Amino acid sequence: MNRKKGDKGFESPRPYKLTHQVVCINNINFQRKSVVGYVELTIFPTVANLNRIKLNSKQCRIYRVRVNDLEAAFIYNDPTLEVCHHESKQRNLNYFSNAYAAAVSAVDPDAGNGELCIKVPSELWKHVDELKVLKVHINFSLDQPKGGLHFVVPNMEGSMAERGAHVFSCGYQNSTRFWFPCVDSYSELCTWKLEYTVDAAMVAVSNGDLVETVYTHDMRKKTFHYMLTIPTAASNISLAIGPFEILVDPYMHEVTHFCLPQLLPLLKHTTSYLHEVFEFYEEILTCRYPYSCFKTVFIDEAYVEVAAYASMSIFSTNLLHSAMIIDETPLTRRCLAQALAQQFFGCFISRMSWSDEWVLKGISGYIYGLWMKKTFGVNEYRHWIKQELDQIVAYELKTGGVLLHPIFGGGKEKDNPASHLHFSIKHPHTLSWEYYTMFQCKAHLVMRLIENRISMEFMLQVFNKLLSLASTASSQKFQSHMWSQMLVSTSGFLKSISNVSGKDIQPLIKQWVDQSGVVKFYGSFAFNRKRNVLELEIKQDYTSPGTQKYVGPLKVTVQELDGSFNHTLQIEENSLKHDIPCHSKSRRNKKKKIPLMNGEEVDMDLSAMDADSPLLWIRIDPDMSVLRKVEFEQSDFMWQYQLRYERDVVAQEEAILALEKFPTPASRLALTDILEQEQCFYRVRMMACFCLAKIANSMVSTWTGPPAMKSLFTRMFCCKTCPNIVKTNNFMNFQSYFLQKTMPVAMALLRDVHNLCPKEVLMFILDLIKYNDNRKNKFSDNYYRAELIDALANSVTPAVSVNNEVRTLDNLNPDVRLILEEITRFLNMEKLLPSYRHTITVSCLKAIRVLQKNGHVPSDPSLFKSYAEYGHFIDVRIAALEAVVDYTKVDRSYEELQWLLTMVQNDPVPYIRHKILDMLTKNPPFTKNMDSPLCNEALVDQLWKLMNSGTSHDWRLRCGAVDLYFTLFGLSRPSCLPLPELGLVLNLKEKKAVLNPTIIPESVANNQEPVNSTNNHGQLVGFQNTEDDQLIKETASSISGHQQGVKRKADMPLGSPLEPGQILEKNEDSKVKLKIRFSNSQEEEEIDMDTVHDSQAFIYHHLNMLERPSTPGKEQSSGEVNMHPVSAAPLSVFSKESNSSKHSDHHHHHHHEHKKKKKKHKHKHKHKHKHDSKEKEKDPFAFSNSPASARSIRSPSLSD
Amino acid sequence: GSKHATTPADNYYLARRRTLQVVVSSLLTEAGFESAEKAAVETLTEMLQSYISEIGRSAKAYCEHTARTQPTLSDIVVTLVEMGFNVETLPAYAKRSQRMVITAPPVTNQPVTPKALTAGQNKPHPSHIPGHFPEFPDPHTYIKTPTYREPVSDYQVLREKAASQRRDVERALTRFMAKTGETQSLFKDDVSTFPLIAARPFTVPYLTALLPSELEMQQMEETDSSEQDDQPDTENLPLHMSTDDSGPEKENASVLQQNTSLSGSRNGEDNVIDNPYLRPVKKPKIRRKK
Repeated sequence: MNRKKGDKGFESPRPYKLTHQVVCINNINFQRKSVVGYVELTIFPTVANLNRIKLNSKQCRIYRVRVNDLEAAFIYNDPTLEVCHHESKQRNLNYFSNAYAAAVSAVDPDAGNGELCIKVPSELWKHVDELKVLKVHINFSLDQPKGGLHFVVPNMEGSMAERGAHVFSCGYQNSTRFWFPCVDSYSELCTWKLEYTVDAAMVAVSNGDLVETVYTHDMRKKTFHYMLTIPTAASNISLAIGPFEILVDPYMHEVTHFCLPQLLPLLKHTTSYLHEVFEFYEEILTCRYPYSCFKTVFIDEAYVEVAAYASMSIFSTNLLHSAMIIDETPLTRRCLAQALAQQFFGCFISRMSWSDEWVLKGISGYIYGLWMKKTFGVNEYRHWIKQELDQIVAYELKTGGVLLHPIFGGGKEKDNPASHLHFSIKHPHTLSWEYYTMFQCKAHLVMRLIENRISMEFMLQVFNKLLSLASTASSQKFQSHMWSQMLVSTSGFLKSISNVSGKDIQPLIKQWVDQSGVVKFYGSFAFNRKRNVLELEIKQDYTSPGTQKYVGPLKVTVQELDGSFNHTLQIEENSLKHDIPCHSKSRRNKKKKIPLMNGEEVDMDLSAMDADSPLLWIRIDPDMSVLRKVEFEQSDFMWQYQLRYERDVVAQEEAILALEKFPTPASRLALTDILEQEQCFYRVRMMACFCLAKIANSMVSTWTGPPAMKSLFTRMFCCKTCPNIVKTNNFMNFQSYFLQKTMPVAMALLRDVHNLCPKEVLMFILDLIKYNDNRKNKFSDNYYRAELIDALANSVTPAVSVNNEVRTLDNLNPDVRLILEEITRFLNMEKLLPSYRHTITVSCLKAIRVLQKNGHVPSDPSLFKSYAEYGHFIDVRIAALEAVVDYTKVDRSYEELQWLLTMVQNDPVPYIRHKILDMLTKNPPFTKNMDSPLCNEALVDQLWKLMNSGTSHDWRLRCGAVDLYFTLFGLSRPSCLPLPELGLVLNLKEKKAVLNPTIIPESVANNQEPVNSTNNHGQLVGFQNTEDDQLIKETASSISGHQQGVKRKADMPLGSPLEPGQILEKNEDSKVKLKIRFSNSQEEEEIDMDTVHDSQAFIYHHLNMLERPSTPGKEQSSGEVNMHPVSAAPLSVFSKESNSSKHSDHHHHHHHEHKKKKKKHKHKHKHKHKHDSKEKEKDPFAFSNSPASARSIRSPSLSD
Repeated sequence: GSKHATTPADNYYLARRRTLQVVVSSLLTEAGFESAEKAAVETLTEMLQSYISEIGRSAKAYCEHTARTQPTLSDIVVTLVEMGFNVETLPAYAKRSQRMVITAPPVTNQPVTPKALTAGQNKPHPSHIPGHFPEFPDPHTYIKTPTYREPVSDYQVLREKAASQRRDVERALTRFMAKTGETQSLFKDDVSTFPLIAARPFTVPYLTALLPSELEMQQMEETDSSEQDDQPDTENLPLHMSTDDSGPEKENASVLQQNTSLSGSRNGEDNVIDNPYLRPVKKPKIRRKK
């Protein structure tokens, strides 16, 4: 991991320092989706005996490597291509996750590793010893990249420019290695020269300043020359090429916007706001935007909506909108603001290591929050904070915690900080996407907590300090070693805080940053009339997963008759009860205005309150200065007062939520009043709609008057003269627009005593649709109409079915017929007059699925499947896919599951692939505790392959597959698999035999998991590091029985987390050999490939231990390798260089102490082949994921 | 002068002829004939007719010769003299005793000229218009006849109508589209009740999804012009300086345009945007500097 020397400096994990890199892409072929180019890295050795240079590179086919113009040999090895090896029967996720983490570590640039290992030619050794500069020149090409660089080539007539073909870089975290060889780390900064030669009709947008554009000699292409003089990490390099339309920002000429053809009017409108964001950030940070220019590019089929890179951001083209669109406008502006915040923190200021990521995400998220506050107001900001807080709390309670600053000890430490998770949090690339999203959310919330502690002023000073330091550093020449000032670290950041503010925030950091979990409070109170004291009891749950104990101050606000009072309680170890003296005597007759927290004085009708108590309402932690969930008990009238009179939107929202449990006329009145109050925040009013619907349903037998909200809606939005007709649309007032959209959706949730949607309500909604008239409106009504369809869908209740008759038109419910009529018309009209982002199609598809699910329409996925195809707008596809996912679950359809999984593998759009897995995880066809016909061995194998090798081109996708596997099968061996023949495991370390952990019955395993996650922190952990002293042997004896399982309990996790290549399966050796001899000749190629994968895990060790100079006479190790039957097909390790043999010596001389390990590997290979040949026929889903080029991939075990 | 209207010409001709025959016959009787052959009577009638016609023609000529339209007695006299008739004898002849009086031919009922369609009374000339001007045309040619019924001003009905009209149009249109193209159905047993136009993938899906439809554009223009004054936010800030409107193919052309405007001010940075993407593409050098 990264080694930090004190706080000051940053010590590179590499024995050299990169100072400058040239990336030159001289040919891009859109037809073939290929790229040809070279890179040249200027590096300074920092140690005298540097003989290997490790770089990151994936997918690239490397033709030639030269170091200072001398041909250099190289090895290309990527263990992440296939994480576990074929022969492994292991199918438990624990095993996989550990192996995957190990594989990622093996190429992790932050650990000084890489997929590409270049040998410094011996002629240069002397040169290197003098620490003189090396120039590493690598020619590479990229053919049909599956990740990192995404080609969008519409299938139509015309030139590529006319077709709007474009290509852009994309990926999750550091993914630059997917498109050119580099040091793919956020901590290795250098200056850049970027050159792209593209078709004359195209534009290449990249980082830094466009120095010049030059035609090629034939004048058919042009070369874009970019210079980036600010030291930047390779991971922040990006590229977008396409026939873009160019718009220079009218307010800031150094800002340029790019979009695809025909969208310029939208681009103009969308970006017309950006300069205000610039101004805001520059003002609060008192710092100019660090780069000399900024570019925004809007592209299709985006990987993520917003991706920030040095001096440019890549956005999804779907963020563009015209002035007629209301709903998208704030969302897009938020994306722009987010991207810009990350320019300062994330791009300009980078991070030292993965464990410092939270600082960057935290700061950028925090300043983005400040922008939100300024732009959308305090209400929106507080609402957002509350939303984020709820999300992170829910996620942590569900999964067991998000750790912002994971510290990994020297490796031997048995403390895995994330034992509750099914993935490793050591690397960004092993992280579940959802976790990462929540991680970012928590990071900015914690920044806000720090702000609460040290004040915003100091906070901004700290940011300014970081930026000025970086700014100074960035203008320095490399030799000054100042560049590391541009890297932020947790310790540096904290030091800065303490310097600037003089405050000690260590406890806060310890609680929220160094530790995972949130706080769960339960509060209740009693009023002691005699003492005039409020007796508050606050309990905590800190034993459930994802929780932690909170000790420290907690603010409580009490609204009394005489005013609002803040109290700071000290939450301590054992004190549950807190006495809070009240200021006012209870008195009710005095007509006096009641002062609120904000100084306002209001009249209240106090008749509802308890005569004896002066308490109106109580709030715990009103400022959200603890990451917590509060469950507080107070009477219904208190919630009602809180809703009516507390001015904080968060309090209002909490009150609304609480009132759901009090379906009384008083609650109804309070909610209705709020709904009508125009000064009230619109989101609160929207929320009140849904609460009112719920209350109305609970009160259905006593409800009087028209259905809830109907008269309100009529009053607000219908014509005065004819109340059954809605006014023609006028959305000038956005608040009422949102309310108008929401009310019908909430009303449709109303149910009568038969649990049906009242006919009156349905007719009301149908009338809204019928009389909807947008002709005089300045804005588009597509979102409104879409929500009306959502309302129709909400009104659907399950069909009354007589003994499961087949659904036909004849027995269609007349109400449903009306609904269907509307949906049909809407959906058909969309074909003729499509709405913005096809919102109406999306809603129609959702509604149809609801009708299917409720048994009104025959359940059938074919409609959705047609809409899910490539070529439909992405929102439509996702809605359709969601329906298919749901169908798969409800109808347990194997066919549809296969269809989805095929799409995960083959769809051209990365986001769709990711989203399918995500949706399957959220709405799984079955879970690990469920008996399902879908759960079978083939599926296990298929998913295993998917995450093992099928998704190696996309970190996010692979983690998505891992998530799905976890949801379906859990951590241990899937229950549907047959028991392995080998039942007993010999634990050599503890010298005892135990039942093979992979076959622990599911029930036992399930009991096991929660226990592990809470108590066994120390136990579960670190086994991936114990490779040397732990050896697990499977023996042939199959001792079955449950008592073993029970006995094994404590050791259960032991078996699974093995490094690849540690298993010794003796029993099958003889068979294997036979098999190999048999298949040797025909399947040479195949075997070759697999062997490469097979050996990857330990190549890593080899490479790590390569040392110079080679000691002669240790050739026997290679001899050992030669025992391998397949090595009859010899392939040299390095390119056909005269010195290749010498190099291979380097590979093999070092393993005396590792001989044992080697032996293991030898056996392993043999096994593998057996499985290969077996699996080949039966497995249609084999991912032949060959590491890019046959020439560059050489496994040492095959050499010589 | 004879002012004979447009009766069927034959009838009139026959009536005149018969009168002349009667005249000839009486003259013959006067002269003492007891009977005459029909052919002889016909010939005499023909001669008489010619003679009278010649008198008329000649009299008309004399009258017109003196620039009049109505012949006078002297015109007739001159004519008769010219034809060699002794006018002096005429009064005596007229007063002869045995003269037979012939009854005037029966007046055939004057055929009524069918009047052109008249509607209402022609307006008399107002006092300021001299009488010699032509009369007003028939009223229907200039009077506008309101044929509408009392307009429906009831808002509710209007909305109702607009709504159902639109709905009908949409339904008809979509049904037509569905009938003529591929469809999908929610019910296996029935494809026609709820026909869904089949989903068809686009080559460039984002264009239809993002660009406002023509209808919307039109609407926006309309509402923009009418409601411009109360715009709520800065969204529509005019973009004075959109620098490039053209598609990518035209990019070079527009860059050239930019150049021509640039060359006008020769590096005058005042109002020219200096953005590297607007700069001209350089010609290749012999050797690119590294």
